[in-house]
Amino acid sequence: MNAKIQVVLCKCCSEMPKLLNIARLEKLASESGNVLSVMTLDGLCDGKELTQIVAEARAKEIDRAIVLACQKKDVSPALIKAYRRAGVNEYLVGIVNIREEVVLPHTAEPERAQTKAETKLLAAIARSRLLQPLERSSEDMKTRNVVIVGGGVAGQAAAREAAKYGVHTIILEKTGKSITAPGVVMPRARLIGGKGYGGNFELRIKVGESVEDLGAASIVVASGGGWATLKGALAKTVKGALPLYEFYQKLQLDQVPAGTVVFMDTPDPAGKTLKVQDFAWDDTLETAIELKKKRPDTAVFVVFQEMRASGLSELAYKEAAEIGVKFVRYDRSATPKVDPKDPTVLTVKDLSQGEVLKIKLGAMVFASIPASQDNQIIAEALRIPMSPDGGIRRGSIQRGPVSTPKPGVFVCGSALFPKSRDVAAAEGEAAGKMAGEFAARGSIEYGGIVAQVTQEKCSACLTCVRTCPYEAPFIGTATKAEIRVQACQGCGMCVGICPSKAIELLNYTDDQIMTESKTLLGGDF
Amino acid sequence: MIVAKRKPLNEIAEMLAPYKKVTIIGCRSCVAICLAGGEKEVKMLVSALKIKNKRDGRKQQIEGTVVERQCEKEWVQEIEDEILDSDVTLSMACSLGAQTIGDMYPKHLTFPGLNTGIFGVPEEQGVWSENCVGCGNCIIHTTGGICPIARCAKSMLNGPCGGSANRKCEVNLEVDCAWSAIYDRLKLQNRLDLIESVTPAKDWSASHSGGRRVIVREDAKLTQHQKKGKGVT
Amino acid sequence: MTEPRPKIVGFCCERHGMDAVVLAARSGKQFEVSVRLVQVPCTGRVDGMHILRSLEEGADAVFVLGCLEKNCYYDTGSIEGRKRVGYVKQMLSELGLEKERVEMFNAASSNSWVFPEIVAKMVEVVRKFGPVGGEKR
Repeated sequence: MNAKIQVVLCKCCSEMPKLLNIARLEKLASESGNVLSVMTLDGLCDGKELTQIVAEARAKEIDRAIVLACQKKDVSPALIKAYRRAGVNEYLVGIVNIREEVVLPHTAEPERAQTKAETKLLAAIARSRLLQPLERSSEDMKTRNVVIVGGGVAGQAAAREAAKYGVHTIILEKTGKSITAPGVVMPRARLIGGKGYGGNFELRIKVGESVEDLGAASIVVASGGGWATLKGALAKTVKGALPLYEFYQKLQLDQVPAGTVVFMDTPDPAGKTLKVQDFAWDDTLETAIELKKKRPDTAVFVVFQEMRASGLSELAYKEAAEIGVKFVRYDRSATPKVDPKDPTVLTVKDLSQGEVLKIKLGAMVFASIPASQDNQIIAEALRIPMSPDGGIRRGSIQRGPVSTPKPGVFVCGSALFPKSRDVAAAEGEAAGKMAGEFAARGSIEYGGIVAQVTQEKCSACLTCVRTCPYEAPFIGTATKAEIRVQACQGCGMCVGICPSKAIELLNYTDDQIMTESKTLLGGDF
Repeated sequence: MIVAKRKPLNEIAEMLAPYKKVTIIGCRSCVAICLAGGEKEVKMLVSALKIKNKRDGRKQQIEGTVVERQCEKEWVQEIEDEILDSDVTLSMACSLGAQTIGDMYPKHLTFPGLNTGIFGVPEEQGVWSENCVGCGNCIIHTTGGICPIARCAKSMLNGPCGGSANRKCEVNLEVDCAWSAIYDRLKLQNRLDLIESVTPAKDWSASHSGGRRVIVREDAKLTQHQKKGKGVT
Repeated sequence: MTEPRPKIVGFCCERHGMDAVVLAARSGKQFEVSVRLVQVPCTGRVDGMHILRSLEEGADAVFVLGCLEKNCYYDTGSIEGRKRVGYVKQMLSELGLEKERVEMFNAASSNSWVFPEIVAKMVEVVRKFGPVGGEKR
């Protein structure tokens, strides 16, 4: 196959020529094999110049391109669109980040920067020759169902927002409580199993005593917190221990029992205490102030490991201290204790003073609720990871704050970690929007840069199956590994670990990667 | 499956040092699966040795290749040229593979790149445990499916010994006592009577103690007549 | 006689890793020219062979830069990357070569200071140990 490469140099609005000799780069490009066209533009960001590229690419029947510009993700969408018009496969458009890798950080050494830019160009050309055109395919979603696991504050908010996308929301609520939310609410329903991938999940749910199958395009985990999950010695032994929002409701109705009130971080299922999120402290401080103002004679303590009153709540911290709320900081190694024989006295070692306090309890308020015990089953059903505290672990922040590592599965509210109702509702809305938008697409796109197995080399050792976080590899009917392309995210983890070198990541093959590194090392430093 | 571990690289480098042309041969079977001698390991080893040679200023030609099953002559034959073209072959298969090449080309040097370890069960990715020692006379139907020969440090047939405490072995407190596991399993199967019956002393003649063992399947053997047809004498 | 210039190759993930490089540059940070980056979708794609081959082909030091382990775009990719780097380090030590020549780093896309520090650290490693072959350049 004879590659026909077009090299485009972007001056980045004259930033590039300040340091680099464009003519030398142009000459180098045009003298390289397979390069049929070399163009220099003032700035790619200017859409007008893209038309010139397209015209030239068409005229010279270009089939692949190398663009020297800035960060790939900034320029690639527009470039791919333009090149598509010229009939160039999007996976054959290579972007070399000259601006941030060479021009900006090496201003003091123009000669060496020039060499580096030239080497990078040569490496990109060498790699480009080895690339293959790749295609994406699409698969229709079988349903428009957005399944929401949990009908609490977050789940209801998610259903409201998702419904706006014209999708079909289904809330699985494990209790029989009545819920007002759009779509279907299934009481006494739990998620117990599932398979599939973003867009086409097949869930197994238990409704009452019967087991049913349910298709889902996307899923929101809103399993909330579980007061019942509290297993810590404190929560077990202290009578009248209650979560913040219940205490707050009681306070509004003047039903708070008499005596000293202690606000504290929440014990987790393992019995230790959870670091409480910032906003839960905000609510705690406001409640403590309200209590102290309503009942100035009541002794109020806030017992904590780490207090982060965010933003204006700093003022609340100050105000609380001024009106007599006592703050006691303890260390995780010495968690506060209640003597089981006398569960009305809390013993806590004050970290700042060093003394041991014994507080006679009237009421004990925990800043938030720990994660639900159902998370284990939900995580296993959807095969998503959990956090050490028993919550659902969210994915990289680059995927969004309510995303799990698995595309199409979103998470919100206390399912992640303990938090206040307001924040849970806000997260529920966010997750609902994401899940609604996902399901409303109607089809999933896949393919492109995905893993590919050379079955003759496969030893069916299962290493890829065990390593992939997305369940893309599986052992197929030929007892060799296969890739479920709809699930493949193109990370290449299975490729890097395969002991038989039977898997390649398309357009990031060993040959392509090592040709690039070799060419880079071949140049002058 | 056979589980092996790569020899320390300095040992390998030392072994190969006197030779100019080296062929490293991996295997796609057991040792690939236990991540010791598959194509990936071979390629990394080739590269690592080249770096070492670069550092030491040694001129040595190193090639790497992989066969499907190094313990089978037919597969090895496919790379005969690569083997005989080198001064030494480093086998990245289990000792069976290394010896197969050695037996096929007795004048040629074949060195082991792996230490062949155990018949192992993959407990989890990267962890293999020895659950069988190939004693030649399996008795696990009487021990709840757990082999005391392999899993008990003393290979006791009538356990546990007095050193079993808290389900751990006195030889290594981190290792589970096999007999404690056998007890639990038999209890689960409602067959605890088996633990009270005494197993007589084992006939070890079927094991390695009787010398090199050969397993023969007469009906599978090719007759002289059949062999002739293939040009083998 | 000027000091030989270090030859450093970095395998950098296209997610947080590359973002951290770009942010460093856009924040006006300068760093040693001798770094050549190879982009990979995820550090889990990096194979020990890529690292070794780079050293074989003339690199004095190789690093792998990925997302923070708890914030990896591909969830467990940078953990895999770390393990691959660890295995290569072990191979180098077994051969009596300096394992410090190979390093794993993690960055968040908001860490503008991390990349220049990585480069400085790798340059320091090369200053200390010189080229792999010991030859003068």
